[in-house]
Amino acid sequence: MPKRNAPDAGRRNFLKGATLAGAAVLAPPVAASTQASDPSKGSTKAAVPGPRLAAAETMPPSKDPVSQTTSGGDFMVDVFKTLDIDYLAMNCASSFRGLHEAVLNHGGNTKPEILTCPHEEIAVHMAQGYAKIEGKPMAMICHGVVGLQHATMAMYNAWCDRVPVIVMGGNIIEANKRGPGAEWVHSAIDPGAIARDFVKWDDQPTSLQHFAESAVRAYKVATTPPMAPVMLSLDAELQENPIADAETLKIPKLSKVIPPQGDSAALAELAKMLVVAENPVIIVDRVARTPAGMARLVELAETLQCAVIDNVGRMNFPSRHPLNQSFRRAILRQADVIVAMEVNELWGSLNAFSDRIVRSSKPNYKQGAKIVTLGSRDLYMKSNYQDFGRYQEVDLTIGGDAEASLPILIEQIKRLIDDGKKSAFAARGQKLAAAKLAAVEQAKSDATIGWDASPITTARLCAEVYGQIKDEDWSLVGTAIRLTWPHRLWKFDKPYQWNGVSGGAGVGYNLPASLGAALANKRHGRLTLAFGGDGDFLFAPSTLWTAAHHRIPMLYIVHNNRAYHQEYMYLQAMAARHGRGITNTATGITITDPNVDYATIARGFGVHGEGPIIDPKDLGPALKRAIAVVKTGQPAVIDVVTDPR
Amino acid sequence: MKLFTMRSAYVAVLVAGAFAARGPGPTALAQNAASGDAANGKRVYLADGCFMCHGRAGQGGAMNYPAPAIAKLEMPVESFVSFLRDAPNDMPAYSTDVLSDKEAADIHAFLQSLPGRKPAKEFPLLNQ
Repeated sequence: MPKRNAPDAGRRNFLKGATLAGAAVLAPPVAASTQASDPSKGSTKAAVPGPRLAAAETMPPSKDPVSQTTSGGDFMVDVFKTLDIDYLAMNCASSFRGLHEAVLNHGGNTKPEILTCPHEEIAVHMAQGYAKIEGKPMAMICHGVVGLQHATMAMYNAWCDRVPVIVMGGNIIEANKRGPGAEWVHSAIDPGAIARDFVKWDDQPTSLQHFAESAVRAYKVATTPPMAPVMLSLDAELQENPIADAETLKIPKLSKVIPPQGDSAALAELAKMLVVAENPVIIVDRVARTPAGMARLVELAETLQCAVIDNVGRMNFPSRHPLNQSFRRAILRQADVIVAMEVNELWGSLNAFSDRIVRSSKPNYKQGAKIVTLGSRDLYMKSNYQDFGRYQEVDLTIGGDAEASLPILIEQIKRLIDDGKKSAFAARGQKLAAAKLAAVEQAKSDATIGWDASPITTARLCAEVYGQIKDEDWSLVGTAIRLTWPHRLWKFDKPYQWNGVSGGAGVGYNLPASLGAALANKRHGRLTLAFGGDGDFLFAPSTLWTAAHHRIPMLYIVHNNRAYHQEYMYLQAMAARHGRGITNTATGITITDPNVDYATIARGFGVHGEGPIIDPKDLGPALKRAIAVVKTGQPAVIDVVTDPR
Repeated sequence: MKLFTMRSAYVAVLVAGAFAARGPGPTALAQNAASGDAANGKRVYLADGCFMCHGRAGQGGAMNYPAPAIAKLEMPVESFVSFLRDAPNDMPAYSTDVLSDKEAADIHAFLQSLPGRKPAKEFPLLNQ
């Protein structure tokens, strides 16, 4: 909304001097804030008051005032501006009406710009997807109690995925200020309690200065590895009421924490282990937290000419790099040194688990192999939710951010490599490269099976999509469960070409998180695309309205196997175990009768929709049409009826 | 559990190896395996949910771990039936209570009837 419509705009921008200079988060807003309290500085002077304002400030205060010239929400918006928060995703609610109005009429709906989301889970997941592409957090705000309850599953996904999200919720702290009815059922003594197990830090500020300090602290905590969501509960009175102590308020300076490097002596020891190893293997999951991460990992792998197994939690390693052995995990059995970097659940990567009547497991790696971890995982965790996985014995645990530690590790390794080692490493690399080539050829051969089948094989689907996007500046930001074909067939070699997965395996992530990533890609002009399961789609289909409303270009391909397919297989296993009814497991699992028409749903939300596509020959033309739509800045959905996996 | 990981692709190798390596089981088949009914095998393959993990074209897939491609299965029928009775890892074991030897042999015939792989070079979309 134009600022000219905001009454007393000059007056209400009393802190703007503190915020413009501080738009970059590392700028010193404290100095600017000091300036704001100095009446000799031009930007903090009140504008010449108009008649209404003059009357308001010269007349005796009314017992029941009907207008005000400042609001706590204005100050909160100024804080967001110093933190360079681009977006505030929300589903509107009365418990944050004060802040909502301030974002529009004080902040001009920019930094942050409001993203209207039909569900709080959409708002949080958008923020999760956005942060992984853009490298900085987005904010979301939700209604007191019930809105936060909607948001929590997505917060848990972000927590498990180690992604910073600034979550805020409205509340009315003082009982005597609550109106009857909704304001009581939507207020709580401790709103953050429901989410405290899966946020890194939370607070409920009781003054504006408290808010400023907690907001800056929240940003700092969220973006310090291991990253995670944070939460602020915002009292409605604090948002809505006039600022009582404007001259004393200041916005603290944000100084980001430099990600900790691993201990240099420990990294030197690791370097020695890697250089003398015959078959070292590096396993990575969430290593690349900036665009530099992939390049550093490539340098490490090429220096050692060793195998890399990528668990694809981030865009860690180029998919077609000769040393990428992600689909040859049997090489762990030959490894004498295994280095796991930012791997959340290492036990799961190093052991095979058998989901039988008697559950059992066995190691994937050979006895005597040295196992080293490097990452921030061990530096912070909580106990209730079990996302840390089973305890894995290791020989050396190096606490520190892996990406930050890689330059030192590489330098230490290079110091230890002589000509003899170089030659041996080169020979090792050649063998791995040959094996990689064979694995790619195997993938291509596998992809030919059922090429013309209907329902369409997922291999054919992915090959058709790649054929349409390979010459674009593409970014794949979502995938259906266990859809591995893109990583087997496509060439991923840019830091933004992959965006990881949900973290907490909470279904309903993929569509909104992909949209958040698409929002981040939009400013870079990239072609965003995502695959998503039909079951996932149905959790938050109204995400498409947000896509259309905010003109966020994204090609979303529904991998429609007409079932919650993973559960289909589990139920089949249960029936087989009991020796009964193996033909009877569709009930409660399949999404048929009626089949869902996802293209029609998309069109209902104002999004280009095509499908259901059942003949693989129709895929290419449909993709062409959809990509043309996306290139105009609009979202598009294609519903493809596929074989299960 | 609804996990997307690629951490255990190696299991596909193990399972595929088991398919290839197992010898004839102790149970003699009542029917002549070579006369398995591929049409009925297809019906059973779909009705009994084999396609869930292995795909309708036998192209393979995944449950907790990758499930191997089984189109044009080379395993002898006796070994195949024996394998189904005591499948390894996460693959369900199918007893005679839910899958007769005849039905298993029919599935085997169906898998052998599938076209299976083709040379990847014939597919421009796989060479880009």
